Amino acid sequence: MTEKAFGIGLDVGSTTTKGVIIESDGSILASHLQSTGASAASAVAHVLGNLLSISGKTRDECRIIGTGYGRNIVDMAHKTVTEITCHSVGVNALNPDIRLLIDVGGQDSKVIRIGANGRPEDFELNDKCSAGTGRFLEVMARVLEVSMDDLGPLALKSKSPCTISSTCTVFAESEVIGRIGSGDSPADIAAGVHQSMASKIGSLSKRVGVATPIGVTGGVALNPAFRYYLSDILKADLWIPDMPQLTGALGAAFIALKDMER
Amino acid sequence: MSDEKPYRKLETQALLQQIAFRHGMEAMAASEEGNLAWVSSGFPVEIPVAMNVFPSYPEQAGAIIGATKIGPEVCGFAEDLGYSQELWSYARASIGSTDRPDDVAMGALPKPQALLGCNNICGTILKWYDANSEQTGAPVFLLDTPPLEDEQKPHHRAYVKQGLMRLIDFLTKTFNTTLEEDRFREVSDLSSRAIKLWTQSLKACQNKPSPLNCADRFLTMAPVVSSRGMEHCTEFYEVLLMEVKDRVKQGVGAIREEKIRLLWDNIPPWFILKFFNKLASRGVVFPADTYTHAWSGAVEGTDTSSLLDGIVDIYSNVYLNKNLDAKIDKMVQLIKDFDLDGFVMFSVRSCKRYSLGQLVSKEIVTERTGVPGVVIEGDMVDSRLFNEAQIQTRVDALLEMFV
Amino acid sequence: MSFPEVIEQSNQVLQALVDAGERVLGYIYPHPPHEIFIAHGLKPSLVRTNPTVVGAYEASLQTFSCSLTRNLFSQRTSSSFPLLAGIVFSGNTCDALQNVGDVWRKRFPEDKVLRLTYPVGDAGESSIDFLAMEIKSLSDDLETLYGVPFSESAFKQAAQLLHEIRDVLQLLYSVRLLYPPLISYHTLSNLVGEYLTAPTEDVSERLKGRWMEVAEKLDTNQTNKVDQLRESLLNKDLSGFDSTIESTSLRIAVIGGMIEPSTFSGLVDDIHGITDSTLVFDMLSFGFKTVFTPPVNIDGDPYKESARSILGAHSEPTQEGLPKRVEFLKDVIARLSIQGLIVCEQSFCDPDEFESPSLEKAAEEVGVPTVKLPLDSELSDRARIEGRIQTFLETIDAN
Repeated sequence: MTEKAFGIGLDVGSTTTKGVIIESDGSILASHLQSTGASAASAVAHVLGNLLSISGKTRDECRIIGTGYGRNIVDMAHKTVTEITCHSVGVNALNPDIRLLIDVGGQDSKVIRIGANGRPEDFELNDKCSAGTGRFLEVMARVLEVSMDDLGPLALKSKSPCTISSTCTVFAESEVIGRIGSGDSPADIAAGVHQSMASKIGSLSKRVGVATPIGVTGGVALNPAFRYYLSDILKADLWIPDMPQLTGALGAAFIALKDMER
Repeated sequence: MSDEKPYRKLETQALLQQIAFRHGMEAMAASEEGNLAWVSSGFPVEIPVAMNVFPSYPEQAGAIIGATKIGPEVCGFAEDLGYSQELWSYARASIGSTDRPDDVAMGALPKPQALLGCNNICGTILKWYDANSEQTGAPVFLLDTPPLEDEQKPHHRAYVKQGLMRLIDFLTKTFNTTLEEDRFREVSDLSSRAIKLWTQSLKACQNKPSPLNCADRFLTMAPVVSSRGMEHCTEFYEVLLMEVKDRVKQGVGAIREEKIRLLWDNIPPWFILKFFNKLASRGVVFPADTYTHAWSGAVEGTDTSSLLDGIVDIYSNVYLNKNLDAKIDKMVQLIKDFDLDGFVMFSVRSCKRYSLGQLVSKEIVTERTGVPGVVIEGDMVDSRLFNEAQIQTRVDALLEMFV
Repeated sequence: MSFPEVIEQSNQVLQALVDAGERVLGYIYPHPPHEIFIAHGLKPSLVRTNPTVVGAYEASLQTFSCSLTRNLFSQRTSSSFPLLAGIVFSGNTCDALQNVGDVWRKRFPEDKVLRLTYPVGDAGESSIDFLAMEIKSLSDDLETLYGVPFSESAFKQAAQLLHEIRDVLQLLYSVRLLYPPLISYHTLSNLVGEYLTAPTEDVSERLKGRWMEVAEKLDTNQTNKVDQLRESLLNKDLSGFDSTIESTSLRIAVIGGMIEPSTFSGLVDDIHGITDSTLVFDMLSFGFKTVFTPPVNIDGDPYKESARSILGAHSEPTQEGLPKRVEFLKDVIARLSIQGLIVCEQSFCDPDEFESPSLEKAAEEVGVPTVKLPLDSELSDRARIEGRIQTFLETIDAN
């Protein structure tokens, strides 16, 4: 029976599935990200297959932790841990100073206060409503007829953002349409959209208690306008890891290692 | 030729600022002296006023927070503490402004020594005041006036009266004061006169053109809510009535060209009262509304016991404390008495007591009166929940029915 | 809120009663005068929300009507409640139930809809007198509607029956707190569910049998402790309870207004991190608060004693008494070694949403972590609810 020596984290989100494989000193041997698509099970199998072939390891040598919304379908996982804990551990491994973690994904957003041991002390989720998630920006990008990649840079051009007051995506959408009709510039509207989103995330953070330094992960962390307005609202600098979408899987992999130590 | 506004501003409105200012100063002084109570709008304030306790109104503060457009921000302070965005926005504004008074330009009230609530306007008053109590340390007194299905029964009357006796006891102990019969009579008399004067101003809107639009009434209602039982309040309504009578005599309306007369149901969106001015430019006036007509019961009596009986009667029978049928009856009566062409029901998202049932009452009111109506959705303080474009569409659709 | 399986089981029981010629009267608020219903020949049964029902309320109720009322209304719009002879709404408890009762009567005029109005105040005899008169009024209405006059002997029997049922449930709650391995929360919650479906002689017999099984495993010392804890919980005063509870495993409690114990149990049973001994206590309105209702004194005016019994239960968020509820919660946490609190909050429920920040603060003040669970009657986003609970457990575990 092969000794298990490597940790694998598989993070199954509703939009993307991520995987990371690390060895006992914490260094990353391989990582992979792909669209979850219609079958989470096959996405997981594909990601795992990829990790193993790139790293050259076999399944028997690895302990696997499943996380994310679809964690329960990760059959090959030895255990499941929620993405809140995994993101916390992952960020802590990359930057132990971070005390507040904000994760904004495609469909939900989370704020986590990280304790001294790298685990969450407290958390808040926005998972019932799309405002304050990547979906909100997708809807607005469509209305403004720009790609998601261009939305942030467009917003950064603005010196006076419009006020978008609706907290509901549907209402905000019609507000944006109204603004376009009134002749407001796309840059100002885009800026207003980001400001509104940052404000919502800011409120979520206050419920947990803002503690610096602050880290931001999740797909939306790649958006420069979002980072700008969020930093403004929280009055703090933000730390973004190099690969902000992989921190959940990374954390899961570290938890796998930790389990093996016991 | 300067562009004339489609609506006329009341001269008496200028007095409102003075009254509000004075009230604010007196509240601060009372708080410092340990003599301030926060009071709910439907509370029999005649009793604490007669006992020399000064009242402040968190609901009115909420309206001001809404009107000064800081509703979302201040409600946000309460949400930061864990209160859901689904809750009554007056309550959120109050909890928020009590938590962070320094961050609220207008609408943060001075510290109270007691919280006096009556649930005749809704069940959440108790919850709101319980939260304020945790924040301020002031004890809550709740006057329980269970909602009525029809006529108030003797045991109900007895229960409420016992509540009033306990109120007097509570105020006596908390504020080291007493209820003197002469003073009680005096205060009740002042309150009763103010309400009768107010009612006359309301009734004058049966005239065509209507001397007051609903926004006028929403603003001039303030003193009867916050200062009834005080002399300057009664004086204000004397002055208001004079101006109203004058307008009627001269055939001058609140709006320049009155074409369509509608009923408004529910508390207004304080942050966008200009909504009514926009409609005024299309000849739409609201001679009656269910909100300002809520203050119409005058307390009468010769001695403490009969005054208390009067209070039991009036305060248990307020519009919001009765069932759906009573609400429908009232709306039908207003439509008939004021000769109205239609109605607008504002569905305030955070106020279940007032709003739940409007989808049904809308149908029945039209059935009984033959006039059309529309339901629009929003909130009184939380402007995030008000979508102008959607509302405009619905109102336009209604107005098109009159062409 | 309830799972489909609970509803199915409940319907089977009710069907059997109806087939045997009984009439079932539904109630919504968890503190009905059971004994009075029974005295009029009616079986009291909790009207349950059904998570499989699709929205059919839009023509009558706005979306901000609480999740419970919308669900019940949707059920009624799609079909009637065939096993119920009538429904009792509550008055003066919350605005949603208050208003929706009126709307229901308008939309379904053929239904037998009654209302029992409760006092909100903590006013001693005055409140009891008021509720007694309201119960009497309800009793008169029941006689008019169903043709069965109030029977004193049936009332006394009912009082005895409810006493027996609650007695066992109270003891089992206490055993669960002190010696979790002796009875699972799953079992306890199902027994509560049976009482909510209809408190019958059968239920009482089954409960007595269950108690015998558990009691056998307790020595004298332990039995005394169970009795002592039960008394303390019933009297809302834990200061007399002096035992320390030793435990090697995690002890969690749940609190909230609108979820049934069996539903909550169903939600948490399969979550990673929950063992058979984890959930030691619920302070739910449809659980602890209705179970720990003092017995009706049969020597006295039936209406007054019913009122006294109802008002003697732990107060709800719809009533006065927040400071007392908060102090009691802190006491429970401290004396009963609770290490984590789950706070359930129903969508658009004013009492829940106003109260939950105070509950969380109270737990925080005694150093215990909490997690808020936003719930609705459709139990939608079940995966996310499970995620929250699992994360919560992971948090406690680590700190």
